Amino acid sequence: MSATSANPTGTAAPAAAPGHDDGLGTASAGRRGRGEGVRIDPFAPKPPAPAWRFLHHLNPLAKVAAPLPVMLLLIFTRGIAIPLAFIVLVVALLLVGARLSGRVTAAIVVGLPVVIALMGVSFGLWVDASRIDQGSPAASVVLLEIGDWRFTLAAYLVGLATSLRIAALLALALLSGLTTSGPDLVRSMVQQLRVPYRIGYTALAAFRFVPRFGHELEVIRQAHRVRGTDAGRGPVAGLRRSIGYAVPLLASAIRHAERIALAMDARAFGAHATRTERYLVPWRARDTVFVLAFWAVAIALYWWGISSGVGALTTSRTEITA
Amino acid sequence: MTQTPLLHLDRVSIRHDGAARATPDDVTFDVAPGEVVLILGPSGCGKSTLALALDGLIPHAVPATLDGTVRVAGLDTAEHPVGALSAHVAMVFQDPDAQVVTGTLLDEVCFGPENQLLPADEVLARGEQALRRVGLWERRSENPDRLSGGGRQRLAIACALAMASPVLVLDEPTANLDPAGIDEVYAVLRELARDDQHAIVLVEHNLDQAVDLIDRVVVLDGDGHVVVDGPAREVLAGRARELLDHGVWLPVSTLAAIRLADAGVPIEPLPLTPTELAAALDAVPELPAPLTDAAPVRASTRNPRPQVAARAAASDGPAIRARGLDVRRGGKRGPVVVRDVTLDVERGEFLAIVGTNGAGKTTLLQALAGVVVPPPGTVDVLGLDPARTDARTLARSIGFVFQNPEHQFLAHTVADELDHGLRVQGVPEAERTPRVTEMLERFGLSGHREQHPFLLSGGQKRRLSVGTALIAGAPVLALDEPTFGQDRERAAELLGMLADLNAAGTTVIVVTHDLQLVADYATRVAVMRDGRILGHGPTGAVLAGPLIDEAGLRHPPLARATRALARHPEWHGVSRIAQLPVATPGRAGGVRPTGPEASDRIGATR
Repeated sequence: MSATSANPTGTAAPAAAPGHDDGLGTASAGRRGRGEGVRIDPFAPKPPAPAWRFLHHLNPLAKVAAPLPVMLLLIFTRGIAIPLAFIVLVVALLLVGARLSGRVTAAIVVGLPVVIALMGVSFGLWVDASRIDQGSPAASVVLLEIGDWRFTLAAYLVGLATSLRIAALLALALLSGLTTSGPDLVRSMVQQLRVPYRIGYTALAAFRFVPRFGHELEVIRQAHRVRGTDAGRGPVAGLRRSIGYAVPLLASAIRHAERIALAMDARAFGAHATRTERYLVPWRARDTVFVLAFWAVAIALYWWGISSGVGALTTSRTEITA
Repeated sequence: MTQTPLLHLDRVSIRHDGAARATPDDVTFDVAPGEVVLILGPSGCGKSTLALALDGLIPHAVPATLDGTVRVAGLDTAEHPVGALSAHVAMVFQDPDAQVVTGTLLDEVCFGPENQLLPADEVLARGEQALRRVGLWERRSENPDRLSGGGRQRLAIACALAMASPVLVLDEPTANLDPAGIDEVYAVLRELARDDQHAIVLVEHNLDQAVDLIDRVVVLDGDGHVVVDGPAREVLAGRARELLDHGVWLPVSTLAAIRLADAGVPIEPLPLTPTELAAALDAVPELPAPLTDAAPVRASTRNPRPQVAARAAASDGPAIRARGLDVRRGGKRGPVVVRDVTLDVERGEFLAIVGTNGAGKTTLLQALAGVVVPPPGTVDVLGLDPARTDARTLARSIGFVFQNPEHQFLAHTVADELDHGLRVQGVPEAERTPRVTEMLERFGLSGHREQHPFLLSGGQKRRLSVGTALIAGAPVLALDEPTFGQDRERAAELLGMLADLNAAGTTVIVVTHDLQLVADYATRVAVMRDGRILGHGPTGAVLAGPLIDEAGLRHPPLARATRALARHPEWHGVSRIAQLPVATPGRAGGVRPTGPEASDRIGATR
């Protein structure tokens, strides 16, 4: 798929070259009329967000550029305070500046803390007890004791710090993820970052493949089930089955990609070095302000965290200071 | 005409990389402004390949060698990139799904003009104009996935129109559509053909729809040579028998008239449409009585509804029995797509389930065959309840063939593919080998024993998929739209094979929307609408009755002609070619086949 996507010309294999002379491969698709089988619609038009939901009115790149340095720093951050502060900041930004559905709001406000707490336990269980500072008060608080083995508060806090780091990374990614459409991101990458449009728009076209392949995979599984292949159980049989699905799926994916590529070529895709943009995604003063303000807040948070001793930056992969 | 032709082909031969010979071979013709040209030819003659060469996709985007020259508005396609040529020739392909690039209808039509670097306001103006022409402007902000197949193909035509090219090339634009979609597309094409602004080059096997809008026909033979190039009527009617000999499909009305002419009914000139056939028949003062299916000889009684012979003794009980069957799609909460279906499929029957898109045909078939699990106690397949039977056991009773045979393949060789079905049944190895060999011979695949199934030709893949469905010994075979996306020749070849299996005792159930094929092969028809069975009965009776209209389907071409007859009411029930009177030896030159089966082939399998 990627080869065809990047350069539609010259990648068609001879097998599919006579178009549809074999009459196959297109089969399942035609029946999916009227949206049936299309579970994800990344292109569904959304009504414009109200003006005060400011995140929707920023350039997609601003929403990537602002959190990106923080995300990098977070990887090297230890402690609970700094990731927690960023989570609170991002959740607040999202609740105010993004138009969220009820389900997404619930997932952020309720789901995220629950996941952080649970992930904290599972990470905490893996902490090497001998490396925890036994002098700290938390090390003497035992949460769970089975025989010799103790799960202390100190271990949980280490786990929690890790889980908060991951959650903070996720939250920062949501900043653009929840407020930007794929096509807009591609457009701004083409318009501001000068990414070649041939790559950007081909990626966008490939986006459409996802629901199609999901549907196709379902049909293939059905077809294989009918032939009595689900006799075996267990992971090995499962793996063999999956490989069995891969061949027909790949064959049809390649054929589909080739056809799309021909259709795009026939419509002058790639004929010129640029193409007309009907949707301009401008970079405005507000984008600069947002990015600089976000960075300023981030610097302030780090300065506060490090100077007050509740957080630290380290390059050590095994440093576990809670 | 003194104008330069829009398209000029001079001794064009195209050989795909790895192919042994060039198809098309040595093709020369021009296309003038305003012309509607149909390219005809048997499967594999290179029609689609030729279409790809008309805007430079061959040789630029497809690995193939092009000899000779193709000039588009005077430009040699070998020397100009596809992008430049696209200003002169726009393409519409077969698969409506494989042409959509963007997320809304408007973005989709604007995609081409944007690539041509037109100013944004002109892009929009062109997009609007194109969408309005195909009647989709109101839906411009929708996702193309929400359109029906016919709607998406209309969108593809709009996208081609937005390129503002004087030539429109359509490569089998309706092969993947149901009858309603085909009508939609042809309504648009008819409109375009009328205004004379575009030259249209059409590759199409659905002649019954296309015949009234084309001006000229270029016919290729099996080797890809041009055999005829001339005005549509002159070629299709005047040289019909010659085309037939080249393996080219003709409109059903023309085929029917040829058979009647051979049987001594004076029909001259040959008709091209059902209306013309009806008029020609009404002009004949006396017609011989149509044949019945049961006794393919001249019927002695004037029975307008030929009865289908009951092939097997009814005492065995039906092969499949469904009682009050409801099926939901996608689990317990999904929508009900099949409602309260009660149906018996008798042993030895050839049942066709027909209906419009979304009528629930495929889901019903899948539930009958246990591909989707029906509610317990509602379906009985030769004594088994698919809801309570595992796939392996069920495979001994009913075989299911999916639309795309590739989906079913899971082995690396053809022989292994067949062997797999026996292996899961626990058949000992010594017994498996002879049975695989027998199946390979039965389906003409002996020479491909060790080949990878994906490397077979389309027809071979289909035969193999039928073989795998039957090898476990299933006496019932269910096929989901087996002719979808295939040209008539392949479709008829497949149906012929199914008819042979059926004659040998296999119960066959197909879901299809090709009613002429149904008319020519099925013994019984069940008509569905909105998840319910409107009715079922012998093919002749169903096609003569009101069910087809009630289901929102269109009568097959022959039935449309005979239903319109004013003078010969006894012919109103005639819907299949096999019901037409047969030439008796010594008559009409005696060159046509004389047996009922042989003459059937004129209509059905040529």
